[in-house]
Amino acid sequence: MESIKQNPLVKKVGFNRIVLCIVLLLMYGLFCALTGGDFFGARRILSALNYAYFLGFLSLAVTFVIATGGIDFSIGPVMFCCALMAGFCFTMYGMPMPAALLISLVVGLAFGIFNGYLVAYWDVPSFITSMASMNIAKGLASVFTKTQSVSWPQSTQEGGWFRKLVTIEDIPMGLIILLAIAVICAIVLNQTKMGRYILSLGSNKEAVRLSGVNVKKWEMSAYIVCGLLVGIAAIFFVGAYSTVQPGYGDQYNNEAIAGCVMGGTSMAGGLASISGTIIGVFIISLLQEGIMALGLDKNLQLIITGIIVIVAVFADVVARRRKN
Amino acid sequence: MGEVILTMKGIDKSFPGVHALDHVDLEVRKGEVHALMGENGAGKSTLMKVLTGIYKKDSGTITYEGKEVEFHNTREAQDAGVVIVHQELNMLGHLTVAQNIFIGREFKKGIRIDDKKMNEEARKLFDRMHIDIDPTETMSKLTVGKQQMCEIAKAISHEAKVIIFDEPSAALTEAEIEELFKIIRDLRAQGMGIVYISHRMDEIKVITDRVTVMRDGSYVGTLITKDCTKDDIINMMVGRVIYEDPKTKNMTPPGAPVVLKVDHLNAGKMVQDVSFELHKGEVLGFSGLMGAGRTETMRALFGADPIDSGDIYVNGQKVTIKSPQDAVKHGIGYLSEDRKRYGIVVQKSVAENTTMADLDEFSNGPFINKKKEKEVAEKFVDSLATKTPSVDQLVVNLSGGNQQKVVIAKWLTRNCDILIFDEPTRGIDVGAKNEIYKLMNQLAAEGKAIIMVSSEMTEILRMSDRIVVMCEGKKTGELDISEATQENIMNMATREIS
Amino acid sequence: MANKSVSKKAGTNKSFIDRMGGQQFIVLIIVIVMFIFFSAMSPGFRKYTTVVSILDYSYYIALMAIGVTFPLLTGGVDLSIGTGLICYSLIGGLLVRQHGMPVAVGMLVTILIGLIFGVINGCLVALMDLPPFLATLCTCMITRGFGAFVVGGYGIPWPAAGQEGGWFRSIFKIQMGGQNIPIGFLWIILLVVIMSFVLNHTKMGRYTRAIGSNKEATRLSGVNVKFYHVMAYVICGLFAGLAAIAYSAIFATVQPGSGAGFEMDAIGGAIVGGVSMSGAVGNVTGTLIGVFVICLLKTGLPFIGLTANWQQIITGFVLIIAVLIDIFKRKKESGQ
Repeated sequence: MESIKQNPLVKKVGFNRIVLCIVLLLMYGLFCALTGGDFFGARRILSALNYAYFLGFLSLAVTFVIATGGIDFSIGPVMFCCALMAGFCFTMYGMPMPAALLISLVVGLAFGIFNGYLVAYWDVPSFITSMASMNIAKGLASVFTKTQSVSWPQSTQEGGWFRKLVTIEDIPMGLIILLAIAVICAIVLNQTKMGRYILSLGSNKEAVRLSGVNVKKWEMSAYIVCGLLVGIAAIFFVGAYSTVQPGYGDQYNNEAIAGCVMGGTSMAGGLASISGTIIGVFIISLLQEGIMALGLDKNLQLIITGIIVIVAVFADVVARRRKN
Repeated sequence: MGEVILTMKGIDKSFPGVHALDHVDLEVRKGEVHALMGENGAGKSTLMKVLTGIYKKDSGTITYEGKEVEFHNTREAQDAGVVIVHQELNMLGHLTVAQNIFIGREFKKGIRIDDKKMNEEARKLFDRMHIDIDPTETMSKLTVGKQQMCEIAKAISHEAKVIIFDEPSAALTEAEIEELFKIIRDLRAQGMGIVYISHRMDEIKVITDRVTVMRDGSYVGTLITKDCTKDDIINMMVGRVIYEDPKTKNMTPPGAPVVLKVDHLNAGKMVQDVSFELHKGEVLGFSGLMGAGRTETMRALFGADPIDSGDIYVNGQKVTIKSPQDAVKHGIGYLSEDRKRYGIVVQKSVAENTTMADLDEFSNGPFINKKKEKEVAEKFVDSLATKTPSVDQLVVNLSGGNQQKVVIAKWLTRNCDILIFDEPTRGIDVGAKNEIYKLMNQLAAEGKAIIMVSSEMTEILRMSDRIVVMCEGKKTGELDISEATQENIMNMATREIS
Repeated sequence: MANKSVSKKAGTNKSFIDRMGGQQFIVLIIVIVMFIFFSAMSPGFRKYTTVVSILDYSYYIALMAIGVTFPLLTGGVDLSIGTGLICYSLIGGLLVRQHGMPVAVGMLVTILIGLIFGVINGCLVALMDLPPFLATLCTCMITRGFGAFVVGGYGIPWPAAGQEGGWFRSIFKIQMGGQNIPIGFLWIILLVVIMSFVLNHTKMGRYTRAIGSNKEATRLSGVNVKFYHVMAYVICGLFAGLAAIAYSAIFATVQPGSGAGFEMDAIGGAIVGGVSMSGAVGNVTGTLIGVFVICLLKTGLPFIGLTANWQQIITGFVLIIAVLIDIFKRKKESGQ
């Protein structure tokens, strides 16, 4: 075991991520076997990916916040708020589609700034801040849409071209975009000043401050990135589901955070892995699709995801305990 | 001194990779105060943890009141009458004094906790100690000294027969130490066996009857305090004479310009009207007792805590320092006394910590130039002789001395001309200490201006060119090294305490 | 170092307001002012039926909030209570509806499952050392999935008043002379009194607070920290079970998949009522008062012409303001 971990290649890729990839492949194999090959085709994969897109962006979003040692509980409802407000502008106010998509990003960004400002500059615990903005997002969306659900146009309808962002005739554009943005996120987190400061302040904020770094600015920047990614997530959510109802969205918080934690990002901050997050999200989406393909209750996915995260985190706790 | 109450014989304890205790002996008699001495890491605390059941010993025997015993946890030790008063106060700030004293063994009336009786009992304890503390007061509202008294009261209330004091005076004022000694003498008179762990040589001479010295996990010997000299004890502790002679002459080049001038600085209660000047190439020592306001002065000066009033001049120019960012901009670097909390990001690598204060210099736009970062980090690892397998090593895996060197590298990377060393050798072993000293001298010789806050008199006398002495938030004296003696520094450091 | 951390925590001199319970007292006044304000602004609000409906709405939130106060006091949190209460209620209701069990048994099972999940949370946090936030996030997902899974995705109506077994609804509301009497409120008061006693005068409560204040010091004092830490979550689970019954009794149908977000109302209430997220500070009476702030906002705003949606926005800001007040107060105390 130790010798495997010391292998330079394994070290470079990361032991956890290798384990996760193996889990992912095993799951895929298992579903293929159980469904008698039905799962093997592109249809199921595409369908699983549909779920992975918006969840992937959400998970990436929250990864930045968790890296600072904070938490964002508002991502799900804010995503809904973005989708509702942007969709309402399109359907009711007749805005052109590009403007609507832009609004989604702007709304996400606005919440990111709001959260970040309260956490970084006013020292409000991130848990409370996100609890508050979760309420605000739900309320704002309902007030704006007068509590009506909003349906985004189908691909044949006017403005439906935005769905090409998700798929163009079975080419999973969404996957390409998700991976591209994930690569950008990974570069930001590992190669830039911003990422360095975000991770460092997540590990020891006071030491970074005493190094003469404007920690408030960088802490806030993590929330802004988060907000922007949530705005993107909203576009892919409506790409998959079309209709959005006000008052919901909480359920996606958990899955996004689960994906992130499964991938090896530490809730204590300072340690984050973008590739891990993406693999974590794929595991959750594949699980969801596999359970549907097997004709099982879709709620099993929640239960299994919950248990996987507990096991993953507990393994981490045990490993750390042994180290000390 | 009465009969023997506690004997530890041949205690052996290993942790993975470390032989922490190597056949250590200790004997405590009734009615004696027994000092346990040794450098940091000599194994004093480990020995006490073995005694009170926090660690399990590998071999050896503990005989207590004539019977061989082995406590499995602190609770068992307490019940038997062996109690430890911790160095870091183990208090529950949100609970009252009485609730703290009786935590874990509350008086009960049915299922209800009988707080009234607990308050009465606590009051009785304090009467017995001749001190005045309100048992219903919330713990966090007491001064550190009073909190310590509560810890002692808690120990006594266990019907203790052996009390271990682990560096009890570290956070106390002179007056509080006096009070503590009074209580300890009282306890001795009542026939308790007392183990007193301290670094302060003066205290050992004043309060203890015998001294047991440990070095690197082994037992060195036991002396009768009044028959030995300070030098005897020091020699046993270090095994060799390491303390160089004090500096006798100000090494600052004559006419060196003033690089930092602090004028009537006020910041909260702990920094009142502090003024001083710092020259290029000088080591300015800040001496004083614990809680004299030295660290607070440095934090205010560095912008870590807000300033109420006062002016700061860097190279003759008046500057506004509102945050560490401002301070760093003006070339001031701060090396905190508590490296793990304020100095380094332990989960990051040596290279990442080295460039922390000056990342702009290592970036092309938003991107970090990792190659350059690595080169510079490697350069400093070489020039400071930092012991690390590579610059990619996480700082958490380095020893205290090497962590300190990483922090020094951080400020040198930033090209800071004014370096504030706050307790630069705390928690660093003897060998590494000398290296840090050498490094500081070298930096001063290269023209850096250094402020060194230190609680160790030998360190102050050995390193400083001039010495500022503080007491209770005020500057009480300034001396050139040529006129400084332990006595006159101590005199200034205690001036206001009556 | 000890010096600094101590002075940061130091409190103020006891003023009149602090003697009355500090933040609690202020929040109580806010509740009264809000009530008077809504009454003055809207004749509809002054009606007896409105008061009854506010109370109806408050029961399950109040019960969850009382329970979650304990994990909060240990410095943790329980995020699973919202989805949990729906899960427990679904399973209990299923036994009554589909398997013909008496309502009393259904209620017992509901509470029992709450207890079991409380034990699970407690074990994850206290024995397995998982971060409370993450552990309960997982049980939040698990209860959500489990409840829906067991009932197969359909809503469960507990017996209506008048139906067989409908008597249980009169635990919270009885009909008398054509009027609804909200006796549930009495139960809540009783439970608050009991839990206040537990918190302030028993070992359970003392150690809950002690763990939140300094877990290691508590352990070194010989307290069985693990047991009491688990128990804080068990109490929370128990109250989530009770909340499930209150919810079933007030609402006609319990929908699987709902419940996410309920915990935020409860935790929000506790925090507005002066419970600190960092542990050790706060008490059950404060929590109850805080819950009423949330419930008054939920029910009162429509009466002054704002849609219920505004309530969520305002609740969000109220939360932030409550915490900001606390932050500024502490900053002032630490002399900065």
